[in-house]
Amino acid sequence: MGLSVPAVAVLLVVLLCLDPHGRVGSAPICAHGSSGCHVPSLADLFDRVIQHSARMHSLSNDLHSEFEQYFLPSKNHIRKIYRKCHTSNILTPNGKENAQKLAREELTEVILKLLMAWRDPLFQLHQSMAHQQDFNSFSSNKALEMGDMAHELRKGVEKVAEKMRVLGMLGNSVTGLSAAEAMLPLSDSGEAMSDYELLYCFRRDSNKVQNYLKILKCRIVPEHDC
Amino acid sequence: MRSCELTHLSHWKSLPHMISPDQCNRGPVQFSLPVSDPSRGPHFTGCRSREQETFRCWWSAGIFQNLTEPGTLRVFYQTKNALSEWQECPDYTHTVKNECYFNKTFTHIWTSYCIQLRSVRENITYDETCFTVENIVHPDPPIGLNWTLLNVSHSGLHFDILVRWAPPPSADVQMGWMSLMYQVQYRVRNASHWEMLDLESGTQQSIYGLHTDKEYEVRVRCKMSAFNNFGEFSDSILVHVAQIPSKESTFPTTLVLIFGVIGLVILLVLLIFSQQQRLMVIFLPPIPAPKIKGIDPELLKNGKLDQLNSLLSSQDMYKPDFYHEDPWVEFIQLDLDDPAEKNESSDTQHLLGLSRSGSSHVLHFKSDDDSGRASCYDPEIPNPEDLAALLPGHSGRGDNHPLVSRSSSSIPDLGVQQTSEVEETPIQTQPAVPSWVNMDFYAQVSDFTPAGGVVLSPGQLNSSPEKKKEEENEKKIPFQLVSDGAYTSENTARQLSADVPPSPGPEQGYQTFPTQAVEGNLWNGEYLVSTSDSQIPYLLPEAPPVPILPPVSGYTVVQEVDAQHSLLLNPPSSQPAICPHSPNKHLPAMPTMPMGYLTPDLLGNLTP
Repeated sequence: MGLSVPAVAVLLVVLLCLDPHGRVGSAPICAHGSSGCHVPSLADLFDRVIQHSARMHSLSNDLHSEFEQYFLPSKNHIRKIYRKCHTSNILTPNGKENAQKLAREELTEVILKLLMAWRDPLFQLHQSMAHQQDFNSFSSNKALEMGDMAHELRKGVEKVAEKMRVLGMLGNSVTGLSAAEAMLPLSDSGEAMSDYELLYCFRRDSNKVQNYLKILKCRIVPEHDC
Repeated sequence: MRSCELTHLSHWKSLPHMISPDQCNRGPVQFSLPVSDPSRGPHFTGCRSREQETFRCWWSAGIFQNLTEPGTLRVFYQTKNALSEWQECPDYTHTVKNECYFNKTFTHIWTSYCIQLRSVRENITYDETCFTVENIVHPDPPIGLNWTLLNVSHSGLHFDILVRWAPPPSADVQMGWMSLMYQVQYRVRNASHWEMLDLESGTQQSIYGLHTDKEYEVRVRCKMSAFNNFGEFSDSILVHVAQIPSKESTFPTTLVLIFGVIGLVILLVLLIFSQQQRLMVIFLPPIPAPKIKGIDPELLKNGKLDQLNSLLSSQDMYKPDFYHEDPWVEFIQLDLDDPAEKNESSDTQHLLGLSRSGSSHVLHFKSDDDSGRASCYDPEIPNPEDLAALLPGHSGRGDNHPLVSRSSSSIPDLGVQQTSEVEETPIQTQPAVPSWVNMDFYAQVSDFTPAGGVVLSPGQLNSSPEKKKEEENEKKIPFQLVSDGAYTSENTARQLSADVPPSPGPEQGYQTFPTQAVEGNLWNGEYLVSTSDSQIPYLLPEAPPVPILPPVSGYTVVQEVDAQHSLLLNPPSSQPAICPHSPNKHLPAMPTMPMGYLTPDLLGNLTP
């Protein structure tokens, strides 16, 4: 029973390294690189992040459909669909080829910008949905979960970016992490966006994030036919 | 339904009627598919994207047939992002009528498009619709659908298959630009209803529970995950598995087995019902209730006390029975019937074995025990020969009453003899047996010598008749020989009585009855021993000679019983006052004397 101190340290590190949740945000990186520590590869990290973004997008889609099912927007409301989302200012590639042409750093930055931009609006959305009695608790819980997912996804992408930087795949020009300005979801006219608009915009942006991540992974991790 | 809402919402502006959710259930294809509505004017019939990289739009002239010429109706689009101007359709497909094709360059995902159908000449906008590209994506059907047999059931009636397919080649699944979900449907051939399975993200699906000898059709379609627009179905494939004919032979066997089992069950049920009682006894034996002799509590509960009363009353019989059955009592009996026999063969003489046979009688007498004195009587009399030797000497005095007291001259001899004989026996008979023999059985032990001898009370009348130490001796059994010290055996008693020296001494020896008054000769034990000058029927009522330790206590010997069935006590030779003759005096004497062992009936006789 005389376990030496390094062995105990290794055990502790192993326990820390094991990530039962599978979330990107909670996956620690084994700094020491000890033998017992399972270091997730970049591909694994990307897979986790992409899975997470897929879940987030699916959730946003469900919420959007529920909103439409119970609250068919009025005509005036429909017009507002085509109002710009608050994230419209962020330049995002609008196609696969455009995204493929974009540099990795820029792509990563775009992803992070998008996720950062949705931190406060999602919280606001949850608050708004919780207070409205029209929504059942299930929908408001979904909104809350969605907000948490966005937060965790951002953390995960940051970790991926850091790992890429460590591996030398990314240059140092990624400045999006620091310059994360909180953008208020304001429409053109300055009014606050309604829940439906928020849902609509977030659904779109979550799809963007998911696809960007896939493209990024395809470019970073050399896989077949990618 | 969702895609219906999504696509139709963009049409609110164009469509004159409201779209209710019910109408949306009709399917998502109302806009995307190029289905024209001939009752309307020129309108868009649908826009579709197959791979989320390009899309196409179709329109119809409608009832305005004069506008069917190509070029009269033109499509303009506007991307809402850049707030750009309306641009015309980049590519009118030549091969397909009324189709506008947007290639990759002009396709912007996550961008809202608005398209208008205009008649340039008239400058009329017939239709306008807005959408985003990802919402109009309908993937191409999967390709390469095939099936393999997984297994066939044991009965041969069912089988399972595994269906495989490949994603549509147009969809960039490798990179993940499109993540597809597939849906498999199957039905019996030419049936009307399709069985739908759950969405599958992979490219294979198992189908279970298909019937053999039936032809099935299987098809598959896909959609983008998190989106609601299904693509077209793939071509159906036929699935058919022939049934193995050898399985049919098992059918009658199964029927036979089933019927046999049912028959057995019925027989068993009948058996159980017919033998119900016996089976109950076998399996559930009745627990015997405890039988307690005596009072039945059930009767008590019911208030029937007859049994109880009978039981209680039967208790009374015990005592008399005890009296009757006591061998001791039997042994000593009043000879009420024949007083004439007292002469030679008095009971005492018989008892004492005084037919001059000496030791034999003695021995016989001795051996004739168990009559009530067994517990106290020690058959192992020490030195019985010595005792017996004394008898013949004493037996010569036939005329004397066996219990006639003798002079105390022999007493010391007796005492000496006694002391010399037995060490452990405190009671020693004195050589003066003959005189004593004729007198009575018992001698009262007056004292113990330090040497262990017994000092019997002499037959002196002067000796204080210490009457009672009854409480000590009441419980002692008669004929208790030696160890108690209070009783003497018959032999010793005989010996003692033979001499009967009333001389008091340290060893007073035996206390004879006649010399002593009735009072003096009182036994503490319940004894009445009568003596008479003549032969005396030694009558002793049933008597347990209680061992007594008084120095002197007298007892009265019942002399005889006269015709009136009254007891005649010893005539008071020395103490006339003590010995009551008349039976009447028995009574007052009775309390003074310790009563002998009397049966209740005898007692009844005595009482006046």
